[in-house]
Parts: sequence; structure tokens; C-alpha cells
Amino acid sequence: MNPGFLTRRQGSAATMYRKILLPTIFVILAWGFWASPDFKVISAGVAIFLFGMVSLEEGFKSFTGGVLEQLLRRTTDKVWKSLAFGIVSTTLMQSSSLVSVITISFLSAGLLELAAGIGIIFGANLGTTTGAWLVAGFGLKVNIAAYAMPMLVFGVILVFQRPKALKGVGYILAGVGFLFLGIAYMKDGFDAFKATIDLSRFAIPGLLGLLIYTLIGIVATVIMQSSHATLVLTITALSAGQLTYENALALAIGANVGTTITAILGALSANEQGRRLAGAHLVFNLITGLIAIVFIKVFAWSVNGISDLVGIAPDDYTLKLAVFHTLFNLVGVGVMLPQLGRLVTTLERVIRPREFTEAQPRYLNSASMEFPDTAVQAVRQETLHIWELARDIIAGGLRLKPEQVLGSADLEQLVQRPVRGEALDIELEYDTKVKPLYNAVIAFISRAAFGWEEKQSADLHWLREANRHIVEAIKGIKHLQKNLEHYVRAGNPHIRGEYNRLRAQIAQVMRALELCHQPDQADVAILGLDHLRAELDQSEGHFSDRLYALIREQRITPPMGTSLMNDTGYAYEIQRNLIAMATTLFSGSERDLDRTQRKLALDETELAALATAEPAPSPTSPTQPSQDGAAR
Amino acid sequence: MKTRKLLERLVELLSDEARQKKKEREALKSVLKQLKHKEKKLRKKLEDEKNEEQLAKLKREVDIVHAQRTKGVNLLKGE
Repeated sequence: MNPGFLTRRQGSAATMYRKILLPTIFVILAWGFWASPDFKVISAGVAIFLFGMVSLEEGFKSFTGGVLEQLLRRTTDKVWKSLAFGIVSTTLMQSSSLVSVITISFLSAGLLELAAGIGIIFGANLGTTTGAWLVAGFGLKVNIAAYAMPMLVFGVILVFQRPKALKGVGYILAGVGFLFLGIAYMKDGFDAFKATIDLSRFAIPGLLGLLIYTLIGIVATVIMQSSHATLVLTITALSAGQLTYENALALAIGANVGTTITAILGALSANEQGRRLAGAHLVFNLITGLIAIVFIKVFAWSVNGISDLVGIAPDDYTLKLAVFHTLFNLVGVGVMLPQLGRLVTTLERVIRPREFTEAQPRYLNSASMEFPDTAVQAVRQETLHIWELARDIIAGGLRLKPEQVLGSADLEQLVQRPVRGEALDIELEYDTKVKPLYNAVIAFISRAAFGWEEKQSADLHWLREANRHIVEAIKGIKHLQKNLEHYVRAGNPHIRGEYNRLRAQIAQVMRALELCHQPDQADVAILGLDHLRAELDQSEGHFSDRLYALIREQRITPPMGTSLMNDTGYAYEIQRNLIAMATTLFSGSERDLDRTQRKLALDETELAALATAEPAPSPTSPTQPSQDGAAR
Repeated sequence: MKTRKLLERLVELLSDEARQKKKEREALKSVLKQLKHKEKKLRKKLEDEKNEEQLAKLKREVDIVHAQRTKGVNLLKGE
């Protein structure tokens, strides 16, 4: 998380949290290590386990920027699909935290709907219960440390490899190895602990025990920021007889509630969508926990029934805990899923978007910087925001309303209308609206681009260029404005006509760009711009002839002519900048399609050659390319 | 499936470069298909157009789309 994007209040809260909590934990641990060597072994087990989680997340993160994002985009159009995505991804990655962070990041960048995000979080809650099954069913039954060693060795060798995929696999292998090693240490620690202290003496029966141990589960999970770690600790303690079954159930409930801290911390820097998702996570886990506490007897009875049915021994409490964990999360999903619509509406009502002035970035936050694709999308959205503001400024500079520029009325007639009122202060508009956003985009890109994949860095490079072109276009309109304001009111109809022609031309390009931006045009939008460039070249050629004719025939004075010549230069530069901006900004969501289009786009020489060449052959011509691209 | 083909598949699966090339080829085919559709539509429009100025504009657009397609086909053949 990048503290630069946190608000001052959130930042100070996080600092306070660290300042108080960290020394307290250190003191307690130091005392524990001094008092009991077995406690040291258990703590080392937890530490190794958490390090395994970090390594596992690092490994899966190296595969983001591709498969994971593609899957996330394509499999979340229906609630059941997002639920399935949450279950499968969390089962595979064994980290609901990573799934929550990815989901928040995608929501913040506007790549995901809130309902789909909530579906994923519900699914992640179910997926995370597979961890208890793995530990209880496999981790405690075999010598897990024996599996850990080769994984660690192979994993670490792979971590030192150059290719990113191998490095990622290395982190995952090492991560699983550390998880196994951590579990083994915890198991050994609790077994040895049994000989010196019997922790089960501290067991608290009844409702009080349920509530106290739920609270302990919450606190432990908040501190470790991993419900998995709490659950594994609980299972190993339970298997060593250091914990009663009833208290272990309460700890599992507590772990479920406490795990929401990861999403809440992740959402601190996110926009309202990310915060809503964290809210949904909290509501879901609180309600599920409450249901589990209220109906604990029914759950215990059901767990016994299910265990009998699937052949789990009555005294195999660790597996029964896994059944309980899955069951109450399943009930939670069953209860909450039908309320999804209502939950979304309530969250949207309660968590309002932050008030933004026009000069504040809306999409650039540290949540969207977490992953390469979300960062690129955030910059694209912000640049579109800048373009919307710039469009109004350029339209104002042309003495047109934005809706006139984007509408369907004949522009050549619109520019004939008399110009009234004060001219737009373009410099002020730029300084107060566009410049702060432009600065924010550049700062975001500089921070985000470090150490990334080539494809995302290239995307960011092009988006930075798009921003530069927008700014250049605004500067151009500022230069053009001075004479334009004078000559659109001029008595001489010829010079007035020429300036009106420039106004109509720029507006025409803006209108054409807007048409290119339509969703049905996205796949060939970039290529469509070649036509605009050709039209521009054509009209520039005609302009010189017309200008000299006007001076020669004394319809305009030479000073008028030189002004017009300079301003026409600005006008064409504005149009070129707008087209260049659109080449990046209006491209589709598929990176490969965009790159292909850029390859097929014609350069200046090709366009010039085309202007002098014979017309293209008819579709029946033998050189006509066929549908699959091969020449017929 | 022959062993050689199986090996080729395996290499393709393991090699980032081969996978990327395949994706690029598919993208190129997809863009060419859409360009063909666009050119067809423009030619139809061209037949119905009576206005001289519009006719010249449309002709230029057809030429450009055709040139882009030719460039794409050459790229596909060259791969």
C-alpha cells in the first residue's frame, strides 16, 4: 500500500495502530520466548507459516497481468460465476486475502461491478474453508515436514531463475514448503507443550467460553492478518489436546470475522466501490459469525450428523472442525446470497462517493496501483476524464458549446451564428481543471511503472503521450483564440469565413473522434483515424492555394493573411494532437488487437503515396485480400 | 497425433514467445476480418453516393482501408 495516497486521517490511524500494537506484540513474544522454549517453537511455526503465505501471494502475483485478470473479467458477468471464481481461486491460492485485494483493486479501477465483487468475496469465504480440510485431513496425518524440504529446495532454486514464470512457480513452491514447515513446527511445539503446560485447563465452557474464544480468534486474526494461520494454529492445538473442541469452534468463528481486517485495510486507499466491498465482507462475516454463535448447538449437532455420514470418527475433532468451518460459511452464503441486491443498494446508500472537485483525480489510488492491469485501466479512465474537461475547454475556445460539437447539427452553419459574450479564460480553465489532473497522472505513472512488465509499461507510455497531446491541443487553442476572437467579429466576410472554417474543422474532428469512441467501433477505432489524418493532409494542401488566392485577389490584407497562416498552423496542430491522443485513448480493451491496429495504421509516407496513387481495386479484383487474410 | 506434432504443441505451450506469436496472429486475422467488413460497407455506400465531395471522401476512405488490409495480409504472409 502506498501511504502517499492515504488521506491524512487514515494515515495517522494506521500509524497509531502500528505504533501501539507492534511494541506490545514484541514485548509479549519476548516474555513468552523467555518463559517457554515450546512457545518459541510454536511461534516460529506461525512465523514460517505466515512467511509461506507471503511467498505464495508473491508467486501468484507474478502471474497477474495476464491469466488472472482475463479470468476475472470473463467469469464475473453472473453472480454464480463470481461465486465460483471466488471459491476456485481461493482454493487454489489458499489465500482469501490475495483474492480480496485483487477484487478491491479491480473494483477501484472500474473493471468489476460491485455485485460481482461481493459474489467473489462470498466465494472466497467458502474457498478458504478448504484450508482447514487440507490441514486436518492431510497436514496432521502425515509427516508434512518431509514434503516441505524438497519443495523449499526446488522452490528457492526456481526463485533465482530469470524467467518470470519460473520465478513465480518458485515462490509458490517455496510458499507451500514454508506453509508445511510452519504447520510441522506448530504441531511439534504443541506436542512438546503438552508435557509442561496443559492449556486445556484454561478452557471455558458455555456461552462465556464461546464469546471469549470468538474474541480471541478475532484478535489473533487481526494481528496475523490471516484467518488461515489462526485456523491452523487452532487445528494443531486441538489435535494436541491443548484446546477443547467447543473452544476451537469459537476460534474458527472469530477467525472468520477477524479476516475482514485485510479487506478493510486494503479498502482504506480505495474509492467508494472498494470501501463498499470491504463493507460487504464485514457484513457477511459478522452475520455468518452471529448465526454460528446463536445456532452453535444446531451446528454442533449437524456436524456430528455429517461426520457420521461421511465416515469421520466421532473423536476426530480436527476434521469435525473443518466440517463446521465449511458448514457455517455455507449457511452464511445461503442466507446472504438472496439478499445480494439489497446489500448492494444499502452499501451504495451508506457509503457515498467522496466529493470530488473537477481537479481531483477519481481513479488514481493505491488500490488500483496494486496490479499492472488495474493501474493501466485507472490511468486510462483518468485520461478520459481529462479529455472530457479538455473537450469543453477546446469547444469554449472555438466559441461553441460541447453539446453542439458532439451533436448532429451542421457545424458549418453553427459557426455562422454571431459570437456574443466574454471569451473563455483558457489559461485559468487549464490551470484549475486540467493541470492538477495531468500532474497526478504523471506522478502516478512514475510510481507505477517501476519494475513492471514491458506490455503494461508500454501502455502507460502511450497514455502519458495521450495526456501530452491533450495538453498540447489546449495550448494550441489558447494561441488560436486571440486572433479568432478578433476575426469572427470582423466586417470582412472572407477573413471571418476562413476563421469560421477553422472552427468548424476542429469541431468536426472532435465529433469524428467521438464517433470512433463508440463501443461498436472499438476493434478498428485506431485504424479509422488514418482517414481523419488523410483528410487533414488534403485540406492543408487546399488551404495554401485558397490563402494565396485571397491575398492575390485583395479580399484579405497581407497582415490578415499572415495571421491566418499562423493560426491555421495552430489549428492543424490541434487536430493532429487530438487524433494522436485518440490513437491511444480510444483503443479497445484487448491489448493484442490494439497493437495489431497500430501495426496496420498507415504512416505519413504511406498516406502521401495513397493520395497520388490509383484508386483501390474493386472487391472482385484478384489482388483483393480474402476473409482470412490470404490474397485471393 | 505424431510425436513431432506433440512436441511442437508442447514447445508452444511452454514458450512465451510462441504463445504470444499465436495470439498476435489471431488478433491480426480478427482485425483483417473486420476491415474487410468495413471496406465492403464503404463500397456499398460509395455506389449510392451522389454528392461529388462526399464521393471523393468515401473513395479516399476505401483506399485507406484497402491499404491497411494489404499491409495486414503482407504481415500475415511474412510471419
